[in-house]
Amino acid sequence: MKPSSWTYARRISQSFCLAVFLWLFLQTEYRGVDQLPYPVSLLFRIDPLAALADFLAPGPFGWQLLWPALIVLLLTILLGRFFCGWICPLGATLDGLGKLVGRGRRAYSPGWRRVKYYLLVALGTATLFGVQLLGLFDPLAIFLRSLTLAVYPAYNYGVNRVFDFFYEHEVPLLSAMVKGAFPVFRDHLMAFYQPIFALSLFTLLIFLTIILLERIEHRFWCKNLCPLGGLLGLCARYALLQRTPQQLCADCRECDSLCRSGAVRPAGHIRSECLLCMDCTGFCPEERVHFALRTGSRGSAGLDLQRRGVLTAMASGVMLVPAVRIGPVTHEQNPYLLRPPGAVPEEEFLQRCVRCAECMKVCIGRALQPALLEAGPVGLWTPLVVPRIGYCEYNCTLCGQVCPTGAIAPLKLPVKQKNVIGLAVIKPDRCLPYAKGIECLVCEEHCPTGEKAIVMEEREVLVNGALRALKFPKIVDRLCIGCGICETRCPVEGASAVRIINEGESRRRRPEPLAGPYG
Amino acid sequence: MMSCMDRRTFIRRSVLTAVAAAAGSLPVIDLQALPAHAAVTPPLAVRRGADIPFLVRETLGALGGMDRFVKPGDIVVVKPNIGWDRTVEMAANTHPDVVTSLVALCLEAGAKQVRIFDRTCNDERRCYTRSGIRAAVEKIGSDRVSLEYVDPRAYRELAIRGGRAFERWEFYLPAIEADRLINVPIAKHHSIAGLTLGMKNLMGVIGGNRGRLHSNIAESLTDIASVIQADLTVVDATRILVANGPQGGRLQDVRSPQTLIASPDIVAADAYAATLFNLAPEDLPTIVAAARRGLGVMDLKRVQMV
Repeated sequence: MKPSSWTYARRISQSFCLAVFLWLFLQTEYRGVDQLPYPVSLLFRIDPLAALADFLAPGPFGWQLLWPALIVLLLTILLGRFFCGWICPLGATLDGLGKLVGRGRRAYSPGWRRVKYYLLVALGTATLFGVQLLGLFDPLAIFLRSLTLAVYPAYNYGVNRVFDFFYEHEVPLLSAMVKGAFPVFRDHLMAFYQPIFALSLFTLLIFLTIILLERIEHRFWCKNLCPLGGLLGLCARYALLQRTPQQLCADCRECDSLCRSGAVRPAGHIRSECLLCMDCTGFCPEERVHFALRTGSRGSAGLDLQRRGVLTAMASGVMLVPAVRIGPVTHEQNPYLLRPPGAVPEEEFLQRCVRCAECMKVCIGRALQPALLEAGPVGLWTPLVVPRIGYCEYNCTLCGQVCPTGAIAPLKLPVKQKNVIGLAVIKPDRCLPYAKGIECLVCEEHCPTGEKAIVMEEREVLVNGALRALKFPKIVDRLCIGCGICETRCPVEGASAVRIINEGESRRRRPEPLAGPYG
Repeated sequence: MMSCMDRRTFIRRSVLTAVAAAAGSLPVIDLQALPAHAAVTPPLAVRRGADIPFLVRETLGALGGMDRFVKPGDIVVVKPNIGWDRTVEMAANTHPDVVTSLVALCLEAGAKQVRIFDRTCNDERRCYTRSGIRAAVEKIGSDRVSLEYVDPRAYRELAIRGGRAFERWEFYLPAIEADRLINVPIAKHHSIAGLTLGMKNLMGVIGGNRGRLHSNIAESLTDIASVIQADLTVVDATRILVANGPQGGRLQDVRSPQTLIASPDIVAADAYAATLFNLAPEDLPTIVAAARRGLGVMDLKRVQMV
């Protein structure tokens, strides 16, 4: 059994696409220019699930952005699931790591194949009714999310510790070389600051689970669970690129046991399941197998989705909606639920965000963190501004630039600088001048609005029984944009003495604000 | 006045003393504040002019030239203020031309290496770029000059002998170990320190939670300045920020005195800079505290205008 040239071509294509993906991933960082030329969001433009989320969200479909996804769908109708076999970075990772984790050869019930279609139908139906969870299962989102939140931070941590070691211990020759390499790594191959994320471990566990499923059978995820695979499978049902022979040969049943996608069944070749890996063109002992474009489906097997299953999936999708909606409206309950600048209103935001974590990858001030339950039951992995960890950099517009589905609108800088994320509120029981009579102005000093949104007001107060003039910070509501640098930099240990709440955020339709003496 | 021993000797002696004294008890280097040297009248040069390279040359010339401060083979640190993600005209950072002109003078004086850095408040990549300092330094195109990001590994906690606000703090080693340190602040409004000048600019070479310094800013900055002694302070007042400092962001808060103030005495330089804001040196607690502790002369009648 030797791989055919088609197999080699596929492997090259997979490696190339994975390399492009990783290269784009590394480019998705501020490296001195304000407008990112090659953000990894380019990759989501070919993602039909992202397009579906965008299509079903309120507002016009982003044709300009997402037409490549439609091309992928058209090509799939023509050729079959080439995306899964030749392009998908998660598929490539599974193919590449399979040998390492050990590959199962258990023949699973063909019934499992239907799960991905049911998942797609259930998620699609829920999305139609306004609960979008496609991103949780989208393979590109999973891959990017795992990379951003877990793999890349871990990689940076490891590399940095190596550099630390050679910085602290002078090893002849080696130390000089390693130190010389540091700027190259820092400027091109690493994050400038060590990425820090709240859900790293959780995200990693899910990623590892998907990889470990290889131990059950090859491409378990792709064959049984991936809703994008399901969508492409549906499109590929009558693909013109067809396999000959369609059936298992009478004298040899190798395909049945060797096919990684389980697409060659006694009933015939199932185009919806075939990942076009082309291995069968190589392992066929008689070299009978080839692929060619032709019409008609003589001898091939169709999909048996089972009406009952589809209806059940639709019903679960519909039922998901009230299950989610009957809870309290999270962003009204949780005043600390802050979204990136340019985020659309919360309900639409949840419908658009595909949880790809790109905004978190690119955030220059480490302000964006993935949500667990802070944004409600369906807000998992959506981006939150967490100002105690990092702030929104005043002159930066990167998150809006990389968002592939318009959940964060791309804002021009002057607009972004006026976009209100929230409002700073000083806590007098923690703030040094108020609570302890100690002078402090760190929040005022860092406030980035030209006319400062934090002013210092001098008052005479009793401190330890003596009258003393002290300056107190006050928030000017009309100027505060909630960037959060005051909360990040507040020198009080532990909980900050100034916190951003989501009151007055730009994306919310709201009544006239109350005008106080500070504006 | 310049210190009587050079920086390297000083470091070597301090380290030796520390090693001898500590004998394994404390994992910190015990840096002793330099002896007060405000006994004589320090020279102070003030010049005005629109042509910045010429202005820098003229001001340094009045002090006797850069040769008086930088010796051939010296490793020199030029420490501008690059704290904020603001463009040149906003007057939040030291003017790039002031920085590069000083660097050029250092190179002419035979400096082996000139290192430029600041621990910024906004993202350092953005600050270095938008301040215009990155482009200006790259234009020099000399491999003896480097604009560096602060290396988080290079902070060391040092004891501050005689410190009033702190007994120890983290300092940035490259600033301490350099042969010469040229402190190049920009003069700006600041709500608690009153103004941010030379002493405040030294906050850019320390580590730790800098916000904590503000509760006792005068003594804290004096503590810092007693450890990191600049050989030369050049206050950039080509543009100054009179309100909404220290980062500004509005042109209406910017004035252009087109002035450069230089002195080996950081207190004298700061004291003179205060007058540009119609303040007396006594109005600024940091200057008063530093003068009291013998770090320099604040009485402008006692400085030697050159």
